Amino acid sequence: MTRVLVPVEVLEGETVSPGLITLLATLDVTVLGYHVLPEQTAPDQARLQFEDRATDALYDLTDEFRAAGGAADHRLVFTHDRARSINRIADDVDAEAFAISGMTAEVEQLLVALSGDVAVDRILAFVEELIGDRDIGVTLFLAGSDGAADSDQLETAADRLRDAKLDVTAEHQPDGSPFDALMDAVPGHDAIVMGEKAPSLHSLVFGDEPDRVAAASVGPVLVVRNEDRHGETEG
Amino acid sequence: MSDAPTGTNIEGESPAVEQVVETDEVTITEDAELERTLGLPGGLAIGIGTMIGAGIFVFPGLAGAEVGTAATASFIVGGIIALLVALPTSELATAMPKSGGGYYFISRGLGTLAGTVIGLSLWFGLVFATAFYLVGLGFYALDALAAVGITVALSPGLLVSIIAVLAGIGFTILNITGTENAAKLQNGIVALLLSMLVAFLSYGLLEAFGFVDAGTPPGEAANVWEVVPVMSVAALVFTSYLGFAQVATVAGEMRNPGRNLPLAMVGSVLIVTVMYVLTIFVATSVFTQDALAAAGETAMVEVGRQLLGPGGAFVIIVGGLLATMSSANASILSTSRAIYGVSKDALLPRWASRINLKYGTPHVALGMAGGPVVVLAATRQVQLLAEVASFLHLVMYGLMCVALIALRRDEPEWYDPDFRIPGGPVVPVVGALASFGLIGFMDTASIAVGVVVIVVTAGWYFYYARNVTLRGAI
Repeated sequence: MTRVLVPVEVLEGETVSPGLITLLATLDVTVLGYHVLPEQTAPDQARLQFEDRATDALYDLTDEFRAAGGAADHRLVFTHDRARSINRIADDVDAEAFAISGMTAEVEQLLVALSGDVAVDRILAFVEELIGDRDIGVTLFLAGSDGAADSDQLETAADRLRDAKLDVTAEHQPDGSPFDALMDAVPGHDAIVMGEKAPSLHSLVFGDEPDRVAAASVGPVLVVRNEDRHGETEG
Repeated sequence: MSDAPTGTNIEGESPAVEQVVETDEVTITEDAELERTLGLPGGLAIGIGTMIGAGIFVFPGLAGAEVGTAATASFIVGGIIALLVALPTSELATAMPKSGGGYYFISRGLGTLAGTVIGLSLWFGLVFATAFYLVGLGFYALDALAAVGITVALSPGLLVSIIAVLAGIGFTILNITGTENAAKLQNGIVALLLSMLVAFLSYGLLEAFGFVDAGTPPGEAANVWEVVPVMSVAALVFTSYLGFAQVATVAGEMRNPGRNLPLAMVGSVLIVTVMYVLTIFVATSVFTQDALAAAGETAMVEVGRQLLGPGGAFVIIVGGLLATMSSANASILSTSRAIYGVSKDALLPRWASRINLKYGTPHVALGMAGGPVVVLAATRQVQLLAEVASFLHLVMYGLMCVALIALRRDEPEWYDPDFRIPGGPVVPVVGALASFGLIGFMDTASIAVGVVVIVVTAGWYFYYARNVTLRGAI
């Protein structure tokens, strides 16, 4: 069964919106409680003080996921480096995607971004499984200036999802920056699915694209991981 | 893995120790995981960043004034002793990759009394070292003020104290409230310092051997190649080598500790030893003993001025400020880790390692580090502060070697280091003898202060934690 990692900064009071819990009901979920510490603090020191409180909150959250339908478990990590912990645990539980939780009610329309160099096959397979036989519409979105090639790719993808009996709309945006175009497409959608990209100079300067998408769109973002990921950062 | 620690302290707290699984990436406890986030560059930056401030920027003038170019031998002796201890420390750290460093190894290898004495002495040793770095910072700030033409109507000594105290308060507050990732900044500062020094020393060496002529005044320092003076200078400058064991205090946060810990500790000792020896060689080639003695703590600024003019002096002033700041800051951080280590084992009250909710920082421990630092820094006693810091560290170094010998003899089931020093007990035995031996060459006043600290910490054990058993508990 496909597994999704849901990182939650439990001790900061972060929680998961009911809409995201319902959306993920078709999949297995690992809730990752994490707490980021400044370097002055040994992670073990924080564990001694906060572990019980965090574990209680995580039990409650996993119960909610289970009640919605899928299998759910939890992990708790104290770290200086959020991205490293999320990556390691996603590898460890073999998660196909991770979620950036945001506010949403019941998800009725999903925005699936295929722009850029992402693993389209994996994203589509993930969306098929995520939606299952539920009545959730999909907007496939591609921003790029490759003209005919882009349209072809978008149509192939849409056909594949239609074969899986999904309700698909395709939207191609040839102009402007892919990020702004995606943001313009967000209204009318309750959650976003996108692919993980290799770290670039741009992501180093402006932060990871999924994080920026999540911040700008308010709703939850599901990031389908790359096969060859492992973003090493030296510290 | 082995017996749990037992007993409680006078307040009824018992050591908070539980079974964990260690991997290269993470420490897994029963309910949570502790990410290892520090790589080899981060480890080297802690080691080098802590050490380089003192050896390059504060001691050359003081050491050169005593014995001239023979001070190179003093620094080599210091480096060899540091290496003799870094190797056993590496073995212990790979067997017990936990936060707390030397304290942890000694409490597990030799028991609670030795553990309490060393754990608390490490705290005070780091406090003395931090105060020493801050006084160094004060002297450089004084030169910086002079260089930009600001004069203050206070005696220079008083001004140094004021700057040192303000800097101590500043670093403590920054560490309590700051949540930015200063580690990256520290790495950058260390890289910058190393490249500045390589350029500066290359030019200085060319000058010293007469390939280029910067018009330095004739006359070298008169050299005192005699054992006792060379050794007593070695005892004085040994503070320049205290940083490598600080790497062990963050052993619990280092990735792939079996490989990275030994490389970071041994590597940082080798790198700073080469830098120190070259620096002192250049300094004593440029100036006579009198000139070095007159220039004192900031003699390197004058060396820079002689070699490269005002630009050279400016580079050294900036380097000195950065290096002493990075040493002081890294030491305050290690101190809070050291306090956490003993408080976790119920040798200090548990509240000492409480974390503040707003910033996520251990404000009590940082205060317990910064408070005494500020008081000591106000005294401005460079030599005394340096030697007491070295004394307390050397006691720990010697006992770490003894702990290694004891652990190897008992070879408990859990003792399975990734890195084993070859040659059986030779290295730890020589390391222990050298560490204790070097203490003998210190000033009487420094030894007296050090002994008082040891006696007080031992008294604390009998009062507070007599019933706690830590030996062999992992």
